[in-house]
Amino acid sequence: MKGKKIVAVLLIMTLAVSLLTGCSGKKKEVLNLYTWADYVPQNVIDGFEKQTGIKVNYSNFETNEEMLAKLENTKGGDYDVVIASDYIIKIAKEEGLVSELNKEKIKNYQNIDPIYQGFFYDKDNKYTVPYAPGIPLIVYNPDQVKIDITGYESLWDPSLKDSVGIMDTERVVNGIALKTLGQSFNTEDLTMIKKAGDKLLKLADNIRILSQDQTQDYLISGEISVAFLFTSQVAKALKANPKLKVVYPKEGLGFGVDSLFISSKAPNSDNAHSFLNYLLEGKVGAKVSSQIYYLCPNKASYEFLPKEFQKSLVISADDITNGEFIQDVGKKATDLHNEIYTAFKAALN
Amino acid sequence: MKNNIHKPKSKIWMTILPMYLFTIIFIAGPLIYMVALSFMTKKDVWGVVAQFSTASYQKILKPVYMNTFIQSIKLSFATTIATLIIGYPFGYFMAKLSERYKKLVMFLVVVPFWTNALVRMYGWIIIFRSNGVLDHILMKSGLTRTPLKLLYSYPAVLIGMVYSLLPFMILAVFSSTEKMDWSIVEAARDLGASRLQAFLTITLKVTLPGILSGIILVFIPSMGLFFIADILGGGKVMLVGNLIRDQLFTTRDWPFAAALSVVLMIVTSLFIWIYRKITHVKELEGIL
Repeated sequence: MKGKKIVAVLLIMTLAVSLLTGCSGKKKEVLNLYTWADYVPQNVIDGFEKQTGIKVNYSNFETNEEMLAKLENTKGGDYDVVIASDYIIKIAKEEGLVSELNKEKIKNYQNIDPIYQGFFYDKDNKYTVPYAPGIPLIVYNPDQVKIDITGYESLWDPSLKDSVGIMDTERVVNGIALKTLGQSFNTEDLTMIKKAGDKLLKLADNIRILSQDQTQDYLISGEISVAFLFTSQVAKALKANPKLKVVYPKEGLGFGVDSLFISSKAPNSDNAHSFLNYLLEGKVGAKVSSQIYYLCPNKASYEFLPKEFQKSLVISADDITNGEFIQDVGKKATDLHNEIYTAFKAALN
Repeated sequence: MKNNIHKPKSKIWMTILPMYLFTIIFIAGPLIYMVALSFMTKKDVWGVVAQFSTASYQKILKPVYMNTFIQSIKLSFATTIATLIIGYPFGYFMAKLSERYKKLVMFLVVVPFWTNALVRMYGWIIIFRSNGVLDHILMKSGLTRTPLKLLYSYPAVLIGMVYSLLPFMILAVFSSTEKMDWSIVEAARDLGASRLQAFLTITLKVTLPGILSGIILVFIPSMGLFFIADILGGGKVMLVGNLIRDQLFTTRDWPFAAALSVVLMIVTSLFIWIYRKITHVKELEGIL
């Protein structure tokens, strides 16, 4: 009996010791990056690790809201660099989870194209570095579509019955209905939102699929003939089938910027700054944009972009100033948006 | 001597304690948290405030959200009925097989569980999609001319649901049929009952607990399986599970999500209660 106990105690001790030795090695420099899966290309991460010797720990989330909930639980700690969407960064900032950038440590900061700065979530450019700006656009296959598509309104055309694909994003979908009524995405006029909801119900017959990821695949495979796509999806669709046509909707464009920020209690703040600096290098920026297929916000990168992207990933300042961000609206408007979207989805099957 | 006998008994609580702790921390805790959350108030932009409110429950009564519940229950009923129609004969005849084949069939029923359910759903996409496997077979055989739009529809979701929940029905029916005392059926036949009469009056009644537990095992999970509606329904079939997920991850209305979960739990508990009332059985059959 006693012998067995001694063996057990010894086993536990060796286990404990081996755990301790696991930690007591020479402390390695690390960077904790938190964003969507595959949002930072692997060869960019490898390049950074090679250049600086800092190891990157990549954790991913699926939605902005999931990210914010986790960041809030850690009180702005655990993660160093986060890449997320504009509206959620505004909330994170208000919750005190974002730290001010030390621009002296980001020598390449001046490479940012100023047309991508000064937006609502960071008016004085103190907290963020733009990473992936985008404008959702309509893409269609002219072989399958008989009408001339000019804007959101065309999606309602009866000839498109059961052949439209659209992103499963409440405010974007409700937003295009608002745009066809000549309203802003962010209107708080409840009667207008309600009207948009009624109009949306009439779109239900034309919707073949609501999908957040890889919607372009359905367009490429011919499952749908028209799609309303995020920028990266537009680029991927065109790459697979250059015959597809892109429409800048006449009712007005949407716009969004996924940006980098450093969390308020980042454990490796210095490494975070050198990571941002690295991403802003001209060549690295081009490598990022040409792989994730979002607009390139780095003016030093333009010359390094592969030719096929020179046109699609660099756009004019006009398109951007005309683009409208989707921002948070009051509680009543938010509730109504949720209600009309739920009703829209129920009308789909 | 006396001490030695009593020693193990006095320390038995030490072996039970972890189980209770586990239950309290991982089951009762979150449950209480969820109920509490459902009575809190959503902050304008992000988070909740600990202010008592029944607004979330009132919101469920709105026709749009009630409709989601009705849709879910409808789909669950359809799924349950379809699994019963397919699963009952399957389980019944499986129980009558010889020992060797019984084992083999049981193995085949259980094998799909070794693969992740999500992956299996993607398999259905390959079969159903336009110009997919099924379309090719139908068009080659001349039954259809143009690709059918089978995927991203209500029937596709129903098939996915039936497919993933069928084993539970089969196993429940199987286990109650296997336990059956066949001499009662023989007695009925000896007394002049036809095959059908014997089946309806004896077999069906004796296997009723299996049927009912199969119904519960299929019906309740089907209320919450939102990923099937997402993958095979193309986001077009909205169930309570999808609504809860959306409230958490996009609308950020946590109290509403919690309230929906509480109501969903009450509804499902109600079905279990009805099951107990009917069968007077406390354990579900067929849980291996």
